[in-house]
Amino acid sequence: MNKYFLHGLYGLLGVIMLSAIAFKIFQPIQVLPRMHLAPAFNLIDQDGKPLTSEALRGQFVIFTFAYSHCPAPCYGIFETLQDVQSRLDEAQLEGIPVTFVTISFDPQRDTPAVLNAYAQSIGADTQRWKFATTTNQTLLKTIIGSGFEVYYERKEDGNFAFDPTFVLVDGWGIVRAEYRYATEVSNADRILRHLGVLAEEVRNSKGTAKLAYEAAHLFLCYAP
Amino acid sequence: MSTQSMHIDAYERNWMIFGIVMLALFAAAVSVAAFGMGIQVPAPEQRVDPRTVATDPNSPWSNPGLREIAPGKYDAYILARAIPKWEYLPNEMTVPAGSTVSFYVTSADVQHGFKIQDTNANFMVLPGQVSKLTITFDKPGTYNFICTEYCGSGHGVMYGAIIVTP
Repeated sequence: MNKYFLHGLYGLLGVIMLSAIAFKIFQPIQVLPRMHLAPAFNLIDQDGKPLTSEALRGQFVIFTFAYSHCPAPCYGIFETLQDVQSRLDEAQLEGIPVTFVTISFDPQRDTPAVLNAYAQSIGADTQRWKFATTTNQTLLKTIIGSGFEVYYERKEDGNFAFDPTFVLVDGWGIVRAEYRYATEVSNADRILRHLGVLAEEVRNSKGTAKLAYEAAHLFLCYAP
Repeated sequence: MSTQSMHIDAYERNWMIFGIVMLALFAAAVSVAAFGMGIQVPAPEQRVDPRTVATDPNSPWSNPGLREIAPGKYDAYILARAIPKWEYLPNEMTVPAGSTVSFYVTSADVQHGFKIQDTNANFMVLPGQVSKLTITFDKPGTYNFICTEYCGSGHGVMYGAIIVTP
């Protein structure tokens, strides 16, 4: 009796360990890491209206950081976003809204009117693509530098040195992906793929399946 | 126990118990370190093209160096290379004490290493991969960093320093 119980216990432990290893190796579920909290902010958008981090809850947001006087092609930031916007069907979001937010670090020149004209000139749909900034330079540095961990600095000629970066934030305001440099796969392709992975997690992590998604987080089964 | 049970010498059994206890202890220690304290092995962050990583104007390593992203918070993009000579670009950086520096290191050619003295930063630098690690420098001083993977005849002169000012 005692012996059968022990053998059963060892067998059960073995099955649990083997399944955990198989889960890690075959990765049936992949997720995006929960990197850190995105900063809260209160900015003014291209229509002169306030744009807060709270208003963006419940949707996927792709943040970029630039300024309207950026000499073309400006690292191809806007081409990438336009590419993502036109191919959004590929991500199979099934109703989860995606908003683009471009935060300008040049509030002296980028007034709401200038940002609005700039949005028109690059053909941005301002319902889904917001351009925002604030005249409070300290707040701006705190949001972009400390919060999103993106570098920008004004040069002597009035232009800016900065690292072109895309940041993907989920509906809870958590940073799930950062795109800091060109990789083998283009940034637009990676953003679309990651949006799809994120949407799948939001759709499926209910009830028992939620535990499987949490296990994917625990075992670091991250989508490439 | 039944009469069929194998006879195990007490000395041998003690050693087996010791081995099993050690396995359990190490498994627990690794679990606590990984899940409780969040300690992670510096993993390759993303893949880049090593042929263009130093020349593409859109790549941060075309302009390697230290960037202050916010007061006391820095990004350091470092390029390790063997051609035209064995070196890190840049090989000297100065930050004030208490700064948090995120290192993004990649190689333009062969396999290199990156170890900062008196910190727990020690990782491989592979062409095509970016290694990222964040370190907080609380004590002023000079922290030398060296190449820890043999990368050719100039391996021994491949070093640099982070100077932490009070």
